[in-house]
Amino acid sequence: MELIIAIFIGLLYACGVYLLLRRSIVKLILGVFVIGNATNLIIFLSGGITRSGVSFIGPEAEKASLETMTDPLPQALILTAIVIGLGIAAYILALKYKYFETTGTHDLDQLSKTDQK
Amino acid sequence: MITALPVFLPLAFMIFALLFRHYHGREYIAVAASGLNVLLSVFLVFKVHQTGMISIQMGDWPAPYGITLIADRFSALMVLVASIVFMAAMAYSVHSLDTRRKSFGFYMFSFGILMGVNGSFLAGDIFNLYVWFEVMLMASFILMSHGGDRNQLEGSIKYLILNLISSFLFVAGIGLLYGKLGTLNMADIAQKLMNFGTLPSELNPAFILIFVGFAIKGALVPFFFWLPASYHTPPPVVTALFAGLLTKVGIYSLIRFYTLFFHQNAEFWQPLVLLVAVLSMVIGVITATSQFEFRKVLSFHIISQVGYVVMGLGFFTVAGLTGAIFFLAHNMISKTNAFLVAGYVHRQKGTLDLKTLGDFYKQHPLWAIFFFISAFSLAGLPPLSGFIGKYLLIKAGIEAEYTAIALVALFVGFFTLFSMVKIWMEVFWKKTPGKEGAPIKEEKSEDPENVRWMTWASGVMALIIVLAGVFATPVVDYCTQAAETLTNPEEYINFVLKGQ
Repeated sequence: MELIIAIFIGLLYACGVYLLLRRSIVKLILGVFVIGNATNLIIFLSGGITRSGVSFIGPEAEKASLETMTDPLPQALILTAIVIGLGIAAYILALKYKYFETTGTHDLDQLSKTDQK
Repeated sequence: MITALPVFLPLAFMIFALLFRHYHGREYIAVAASGLNVLLSVFLVFKVHQTGMISIQMGDWPAPYGITLIADRFSALMVLVASIVFMAAMAYSVHSLDTRRKSFGFYMFSFGILMGVNGSFLAGDIFNLYVWFEVMLMASFILMSHGGDRNQLEGSIKYLILNLISSFLFVAGIGLLYGKLGTLNMADIAQKLMNFGTLPSELNPAFILIFVGFAIKGALVPFFFWLPASYHTPPPVVTALFAGLLTKVGIYSLIRFYTLFFHQNAEFWQPLVLLVAVLSMVIGVITATSQFEFRKVLSFHIISQVGYVVMGLGFFTVAGLTGAIFFLAHNMISKTNAFLVAGYVHRQKGTLDLKTLGDFYKQHPLWAIFFFISAFSLAGLPPLSGFIGKYLLIKAGIEAEYTAIALVALFVGFFTLFSMVKIWMEVFWKKTPGKEGAPIKEEKSEDPENVRWMTWASGVMALIIVLAGVFATPVVDYCTQAAETLTNPEEYINFVLKGQ
């Protein structure tokens, strides 16, 4: 299972980088989202995945046993990262909308004006 | 308690600021709140200087499990300098920023940056550090595009994409590190690494990802491209704030991570860090000399000066780190002030193109003096603070037997002086060129009352630069103590984990 997810993460990164290299700003933004999700999966995978019960210590249990639960912390981290990603997604789409309103173009090459002057 | 306040004060202000967004006194409330923040930081430095380190466990969870906020001498100094820079920017904005931007949340988002910056300086937990980075970045994205001019939107897209990628690399590194070590607390990670003896090679991917993340945030060569492409687009006060705070947070985190983690594999990291430092110094300064826009010259210089700090870190001696800390603090203040003067020039002349400007010394001698002080402090002329910083760094380099690198640093200093003299000659000294230049805004004789807050902000910063150069001994002593703490990570580890 780890191997499949690892290959999948690699594919997501490849897609993300491919999209980042496109000229269209919309595709650039999609690339950022894809890379963000691939990164979340890295945290999920590196925390260790085991097929087991919920990460919860019941009222009758004396202490947590490692066999019946996975580490809940990476999932909490991902939750935080997803929330941050959501905020950034909202902002970046609004920025793109405003940019399109101002300039009427999707083309990244039109951005070169700020480099020279 | 005092450790958490630099984070909570800006947060409280942000919530409070929603209430008086359209009230005309909002800028004075913001200046007062930033003044309160300065007082708080002075108190923090005073407190830390007495005891060495203070920390707080959020929610009272004990050390490796809960989130630690910790202030040692280095982070307390950074919080203090950041608060001074921030207060100057707030005071400067009173007269320099248009009402439209002020009433659409400029102060709210500026305090968001302050909250993120203070949080990053105080974080003792790597995931917490990531969250503070995001707080800071989110606020800076908004300020960068705030107002919605075409240039700003273009600059924001570049700034946003590259900084987001750096965040992803950093958080991927954190994930991998957690997978290998099972902890996020910085002191706990450092201790586990020490127990390894020689570091296992499977930790390297995580460290490289984190290093690249910090290098993008700190604008080190070869990851600096976002900075000069975006820093000249927003209003001057925003650029000044960014130049003073944002890249420095990346460098602060690099120093923290290097001293705690990376240095345990010094034979790999030390040459790499020194190489990046030398490249940043040289490439930053050479690209700066070819620019003909006031703010772009200064932006490229950020890269070069960040290289100096990383060079001091790469020597990894007490003297080198002392120089790095002093130089970082000096650079935050001098750089911000240079950008503040650039903002004033833009206000008076309507352009920042070096070729069309001139005569500024004759018309505004006071501001010319402010620029002289901050620019020649950046170039490293005595008796200004930059001289002390460069002297400490180069001396440390020669003592640590990195003579070639120290000579490169000296050489880069000449080039810095060259481009500062270039700005001085073109903007302040030469006669305004005739009609063949680009059109210049009609000279309006502005009532000095209208720029009173700008003059005060820049003047106080210039005064700090001179004082930090002339009375440098107590500051250098403080920096030496901070550097001793950094070179001795056991102290940090014991303090966090055992509370000693």
